[in-house]
Amino acid sequence: MKEPTSVGLGEYAISRNPEDVLVAYGLGSCLGVSMIDPVNRIAGLLHAVLPEPSNGTTRLDANPYKYVDSGIEALLAGLIQEGAKPGRIVVRMAGGANMLLAADMTRSFDIGTRNIVTARATLQRLRLSLSAEAVGGHTGRTVRVYVAENRVTVKVIGDKEQAL
Amino acid sequence: MGERVQPERDRMEVLKAIAQEGIQNAAKGFSSMVGRTIAVSDPVAHLVPLLSIPKYVSGPEDDTVGIYLRFDGDLLGQIIMIVPLQNALELVDLMMDVPAGTTQVLGSLEKSALGELGNMCGSFFLNAMAKIVKASFRPSPPAIMVDMVGAILDIVVATSLDAGEDVLLMKAKFADGPRSVEADFWVIPDIHALQALMQKSSES
Repeated sequence: MKEPTSVGLGEYAISRNPEDVLVAYGLGSCLGVSMIDPVNRIAGLLHAVLPEPSNGTTRLDANPYKYVDSGIEALLAGLIQEGAKPGRIVVRMAGGANMLLAADMTRSFDIGTRNIVTARATLQRLRLSLSAEAVGGHTGRTVRVYVAENRVTVKVIGDKEQAL
Repeated sequence: MGERVQPERDRMEVLKAIAQEGIQNAAKGFSSMVGRTIAVSDPVAHLVPLLSIPKYVSGPEDDTVGIYLRFDGDLLGQIIMIVPLQNALELVDLMMDVPAGTTQVLGSLEKSALGELGNMCGSFFLNAMAKIVKASFRPSPPAIMVDMVGAILDIVVATSLDAGEDVLLMKAKFADGPRSVEADFWVIPDIHALQALMQKSSES
């Protein structure tokens, strides 16, 4: 059996190989965004870290996949280049947790919520509808994309994989 | 090429010296907490590219305990102590002075004990660093997380990604006689703090 393709921090993967499983392990505040064209069986997964570049970071020298907004745009462009049709693309996302529960740290560090808000706005701007999400809360998640089955799952600590 | 390598080597030497001193002092904090001498062995320091952090930890889905604190004062930064869940249970046994394997789950008491450990080790680490660079730091209260290691480390990555490219990883073994437990310390001075650390330590 083929090893899953690990999608690390600030990375993405696109596949049309039915044997492929794309995985973003241990998402905390990071967001995993999957896009699938179920007819052409093309799947992509993004592992974005921050909503958008902060002041002083130029987009030109930045890796677009580090950021939710530019990462979603780049993932969509990559899928279309592979032959996916935008109107058929099914989008699901997971992650965006707030891992710090300590009262004095929560507010300033809630990057997870900002990631979710940015993703929803970016998807709306690109006219992509979100078909499912497992976001927010205070737990880490692993997201898997099974290319052959057009299937996405989410797993949290101590639990089984659940369909998303 | 040689001109680039030498400053990098100097930088690593300075960071290693800080790590060595800081970890030794953290063990003193641990000792004062449990009332016995806790030795520290083989402290090592690496400068790690931020996005490569997951490559330096075990499987990113592994159950892990993270003890997190921030520091402010003359310089700003974060410290996170990462301990695989099984090791954390052994650390609690060590702190409670009970046989290894006694603690099976992390309840509120055990988490509070680990938080206090992070507090002591973090404060003692910062004291050592403060002495070397002649600056003062104030640690925040610790936050405890039990989750996948990748998810815990997201805090560090997400809060530092646009500020700098490298973080300082230190690994050390804490030993109480024949019993020892390994822990990782990630110390993430913000970009200004890292520059100031280098500057001040080269002056001292």
